[in-house]
Amino acid sequence: MYQFVTGPLLWLSFAIFFIGCIVRIICYIRGLDWQADRVAYTTHFSYGIKGAIRSIAFWLFPFGTRSWRNNPVFTVVFFVFHIGLLVTPVFLLAHNIILKERWGFSLWTIPESVADVLAVGVIIAAVFLILRRIALSEVRILTTTYDFLVLAIAVAPFVTGFIAHHIASDYKFWVIVHVICGEIMLIAIPFTKLSHFVLFFMSRAQLGMDYGIKRGGMKGKGFAW
Amino acid sequence: MPEGILCNKKTIDTKEQLDAILADASGNQYYEEMNHLDIDKVALWTTIRKTFKSRFKTWLEICAHCGLCAESCYYYLANNRDPKQVPSYKIKTTLGELIRRKGDVSNAFMQMCMDTAFAKCSCCTRCGVYCPFGIDMGIMFSYLRGLLFSQGFTPWEMKIGSGMHRIYRAQMDVTTEDWVETCEWMEEEWEDDYPGLKIPIDKENADIMYTLNAREPKHYPQDIAEAAVLFHLAGENWTAPSEGWEATSLTMFAGDWPACKMQVENVYAAMKRLKPKRVVGTECGHAYRATVIEGPYWAGIKTGQPPVENLHYVEWVAEVLRTGKLKIDPAKKIKEPVTFQDSCNYVRNAGLADIPREIMSYIAEDFREMKPNREHNFCCGGGGGLNGIGRYREERNIGFKVKRDQILATGAKLVVSPCHNCWDAIRDMEEIYHMGIKWTFLKPLLIDMVEVPEHLKPKEE
Amino acid sequence: MFKKILFATTASPSCDHAARVAFDTAKRYDSELTAFHVFGIPTRGFSQFARDVRTGETVTLDDDYLGWVKEEMKNTYARQLELHQKCTIEAIPGVPHTEILRAARKKDVDLIIMGSTTREEDEGTYTYRSTTGSTLQAVTKSARCPVLIIGRPVASAWGGFSNIVFGTDFSRAADSAFLFAYKVAKTFGCTLHLFHAYDISSVHSGKIMEQDEIEDNMMEAREKIRKMYVPRLKGFDDYEIDIWEGIPYVEIVKFARENYADLIVMAHHTRKPSSEKALLGSTVEQVVLRATCPVASVNRPDKIKDL
Ligand code: HEM
Ligand code: SF4
Ligand code: SF4
Ligand code: SF4
Repeated sequence: MYQFVTGPLLWLSFAIFFIGCIVRIICYIRGLDWQADRVAYTTHFSYGIKGAIRSIAFWLFPFGTRSWRNNPVFTVVFFVFHIGLLVTPVFLLAHNIILKERWGFSLWTIPESVADVLAVGVIIAAVFLILRRIALSEVRILTTTYDFLVLAIAVAPFVTGFIAHHIASDYKFWVIVHVICGEIMLIAIPFTKLSHFVLFFMSRAQLGMDYGIKRGGMKGKGFAW
Repeated sequence: MPEGILCNKKTIDTKEQLDAILADASGNQYYEEMNHLDIDKVALWTTIRKTFKSRFKTWLEICAHCGLCAESCYYYLANNRDPKQVPSYKIKTTLGELIRRKGDVSNAFMQMCMDTAFAKCSCCTRCGVYCPFGIDMGIMFSYLRGLLFSQGFTPWEMKIGSGMHRIYRAQMDVTTEDWVETCEWMEEEWEDDYPGLKIPIDKENADIMYTLNAREPKHYPQDIAEAAVLFHLAGENWTAPSEGWEATSLTMFAGDWPACKMQVENVYAAMKRLKPKRVVGTECGHAYRATVIEGPYWAGIKTGQPPVENLHYVEWVAEVLRTGKLKIDPAKKIKEPVTFQDSCNYVRNAGLADIPREIMSYIAEDFREMKPNREHNFCCGGGGGLNGIGRYREERNIGFKVKRDQILATGAKLVVSPCHNCWDAIRDMEEIYHMGIKWTFLKPLLIDMVEVPEHLKPKEE
Repeated sequence: MFKKILFATTASPSCDHAARVAFDTAKRYDSELTAFHVFGIPTRGFSQFARDVRTGETVTLDDDYLGWVKEEMKNTYARQLELHQKCTIEAIPGVPHTEILRAARKKDVDLIIMGSTTREEDEGTYTYRSTTGSTLQAVTKSARCPVLIIGRPVASAWGGFSNIVFGTDFSRAADSAFLFAYKVAKTFGCTLHLFHAYDISSVHSGKIMEQDEIEDNMMEAREKIRKMYVPRLKGFDDYEIDIWEGIPYVEIVKFARENYADLIVMAHHTRKPSSEKALLGSTVEQVVLRATCPVASVNRPDKIKDL
């Protein structure tokens, strides 16, 4: 079982994840229409790229934008959540050992203790996000079960991984559950709104190009996000 | 009754149609007919399939429902943080639902969409600036307005506006003769005070071609005279086209995209015909957006640029004050506290934020910024055509509260507002909320302030 | 004398006296009369709204409303309309002074008659007009033809005059006013008072003038009138010259009263005033406000020539 989920199934999920993400990127770009979107993407590509990079960069920095600064608590939670979400799985020692075993290479790794902090951070942040969804009327009205489901899919690997490592007596069982959760997440990314993993960059770049080309980028100093 | 006599899916292309709809008292019959209007679901879904692409699809799909956009919308703030005013919610329940149901929606739903697209969003695009994904409700509502328009669901005044543009290529029934006549009249009336004042019509290869808003020849011709005086005093070699002088586009607010194209091509034709070095548009926000920012795309110009470089009036003013073509009498600078209304259309949506600051530095001694300002400024509350729509008076007036508080917080006694719409909004605001402020365009301010060169002064015997 | 007359009315009682004069005059000269009412001030941006000039309420410009306004005008002037058939009634939305001037130009009228809409009445629509100063001020400043303003009940209609006061400031515009005053005086065979008020208020503020100096200046003014106007009277000898000192609009009103004037003729020649000055009103406006007789404001020669 362990062999299967960390072997063919992992292959499959990664394949789906990567191909899925690439397909989404391609579809996104192909679905752009300079006239309908009213952005001369290609004619003023250099202005567009500048705008796109600005727009992405400002938003990737905590407190880099007016919106982040206006919502400090959310911003902290958001970045704790997302940094954990990205950094932990990729640089986790255990993951890289498997990587080495299966595909013969590995990445940088982070110390176990840091990974633990990040993982706990993700879980706590997720709890906060759930509470926020329930507590704030402007978020509650937007929230659907789907939102909780997606959140669950994203956090499940962390919860199960944490249980496997630190709590459970039945390590084997929980590890399998953890791996399956991780694979579900990978597969879910292209198909659910977790696709924002890549589409965030697409969408931000698009609006960045809009501002960079049409809405003043060619006249002013660049948009003040 | 599938199609009404006044309210239907047809566009208004003849004078008879226009007269008929104008005759309707406050659009009563029009809105009554709208209650029975059928929806061509096949056509609607076909249009959506053709036009609903990457950008909108992605936006609706990946919206994290995080609510960060809530506070960015002045409607949300003005309505005591009513969750139903959260931008994401507004679009989700309208366009989102329309897509989910594949266009299979009821008349009541369409009307709800119309009410939301016009009375809960002025397409100011502020929310897009505050969303981590850059999801821009202003653009989506504008798209939704287009879908609604194609099915006949548009406010009475918007239908009229669209008809005006289709028939007169202007937002009001001003014909070429009316327009030229008005210019002659203004020339006559003002040349006593400004000897040599001319409004040159159809002069080729001038440095500047002037475009404007049809409200000016129709109701406020002194605006034209004032523009002429300032060009005259600045010594500009300028002209105005006899045809293609109207730069606004209500069709943009209405979502009548084919007419947007017709309208803007008319202005571009004038640019090509008279070959001016540059075009300067009047103090109107949406005219600039329609002709300079969006227009090239309607007209299918690949570069996204109008045929000739276009300036908004504020850009021209900044330029002539900077270069000294117009000089301000230092004694006449504005002494009282004064603030500036950043119009979404040429500030957030066209990057001209620095220009007004520069102008104010030349003409005001006590300039006060609103908070927030520049690209982050709130809509005046009358944007997106809302000022003109009777059906949504109440909603608009509530929305005003945000701008009112912004203005009052500056302590300014005067608001400089170089945008017809914002001007109206602030006027109405004053009337409703009695703020004790004045507001003005730039032209009359400048006319009072500039030094008239000796050789242009009227000679008194 | 006047082939075409434009009667600019607010269709409210403040124009009743003006209405009487307008219809009487039109009847007398068999002129084409247009009773012209600008009823709603439109917004700056696009809308079908207008501000009703009389009530100050926001109205929607549609056929219903337009029809109603016209109907009301017809009722108001029903009696006069019966007496003078060559009269059309027009009601349109717009900024009053703009539309009055536009119509006067378009119809090429020889005379505009209007009531003295007071500033208060204008006030309700003040913010809508976007020009400072009143309708009266704007019309008198820019009209190409004489503007006759009737504020109070007048004993006699046009004609039947015994005394006409022409107030001059020696400007070029005043030339036209003079010509008009002279022609009217000649036509009706009445006394023409050539009057100048020597302004000791504003021009020389800060400097207290010696009485001698004032006297000198007044003498000079008298001489000026003699040189400028008298030769052009071409033998018409029923005139008098008077020079007073003071604030012009006060003096001319006083003078008119003392001389039982039936008509004051003057030019509104001030340049486009700065916004602040405009709020105080022009001399013409001040005179209209106080005078007991009609005031004719004449600035330009266009319509005087063939009077
Ligand atoms: C790098 C740019 C990214 C941005 C700007 C971004 C933005 C957001 C935002 C605004 C939220 C809403 C938070 C809430 O209120 O629930 C969110 C949620 C979430 N993000 Fe991201 N995200 C990014 C990347 C990622 C990546 C790489 C993942 C990993 C798969 C991810 C997974 C999630 C999950 C699972 C949620 C919670 C579910 C939801 O509310 O949609 N995000 N993200
Ligand atoms: S800020 Fe953006 S992602 Fe968040 S709810 Fe609003 S539209 Fe959706
Ligand atoms: S575009 Fe402006 S008005 Fe519309 S939802 Fe966004 S912030 Fe609100
Ligand atoms: S009316 Fe003025 S403030 Fe409002 S959307 Fe238009 S430009 Fe912006």
